[in-house]
Amino acid sequence: MPRPSPDQTQDAPYARILQNCLTGELRLVNVGLPRTRKTLSHLLREDYPQVICNDGSTHFFKRNELEYLASILDNDEQEALLLPILIEIGVSQGEAVILALSGLEGKLEMKVASKVLDMPVTCDQGKIRIYKSQLALLRRKLKTATVYVFSSAAPI
Amino acid sequence: MPQLIRVRPTKIELIKLKRRLALAQRVRKIVKDRLSILTMELLQTARDTTEAKKKLIDELSQLYKALSIAAGYHGYMVLEKELIATEAHLKVTVGSRNVAGVRIPSFELTNAQERLKAYSLADTSSWFDHAAQLSQACLNSIVELAELQRSFELLAMEISRTKRIANALEYVVIPGLQTTISYLNMKFEERDREEKARLKRVKVLVARG
Repeated sequence: MPRPSPDQTQDAPYARILQNCLTGELRLVNVGLPRTRKTLSHLLREDYPQVICNDGSTHFFKRNELEYLASILDNDEQEALLLPILIEIGVSQGEAVILALSGLEGKLEMKVASKVLDMPVTCDQGKIRIYKSQLALLRRKLKTATVYVFSSAAPI
Repeated sequence: MPQLIRVRPTKIELIKLKRRLALAQRVRKIVKDRLSILTMELLQTARDTTEAKKKLIDELSQLYKALSIAAGYHGYMVLEKELIATEAHLKVTVGSRNVAGVRIPSFELTNAQERLKAYSLADTSSWFDHAAQLSQACLNSIVELAELQRSFELLAMEISRTKRIANALEYVVIPGLQTTISYLNMKFEERDREEKARLKRVKVLVARG
């Protein structure tokens, strides 16, 4: 096993910078999460539908996506569905999880997901599990109405 | 051979290195997840861009045909006079959205419809209406294509940056940390062995009196 050579004395500051980079990378992936979420009906009433993100920037919603969601849901459901819908990545390989946080035991997200994917989905403890291929389809139809959450609590 | 990190061979340093390794492995997992998501988004954007381009080319060719017919029917003078009435600054709503840490612009054309209908309906024919409708569709497609192309560029740049980070973690940082940890472990084991040998030697010397 080779010993550390004397010319590697600059490793300590390098390691500190590296540590900061790594921590920064962890922070970067979730800065785009919304600080507060808004209901679909609230967003439909706004001239420029948007929410504020954790880093102070805005997340803009496309009106045609909101109208598509409104066509799926009735008035009461529009009052309850919180947007953007959160999709958790990194829980397990090849799978993504839609977090059903709008209440009603995830019925609203289930209804939206099953309509978009054109297949029945089930909600288990507020989580709707879908495959990555289905995720591409969901994102294609709801580009601005969904955001990614990167799970750092997952086992390494 | 991964490079050793220059640290003092102490238990505290070993604990620090182990923590750093755990962090690096966690970041590697997140970076890889992010990379796969960004790649998926890039491929989707590439497909959408191709479709949008094809659609725009079709619409533009239809528009030129419709304008040619309208110009033939009304004459260039009348056509130009009516087109002046429709001249306006278009209003595009610009927002942004976040895709896995990348800020992507979002464009929406808002007031094109009313300006394009500003020509005189009495002095123009249905050919002109048809051309106006097609030009409206073209404007929407142009804005859509602009958004997709910019998204494509931003995603591609972010993918190359993320790839560099993922490779650095996988081939430099993590192997370096693992090598240093194993070097420190071996150093401590060696110290233990030396200590044991020293104690044995002392015991022998004490026994001899």
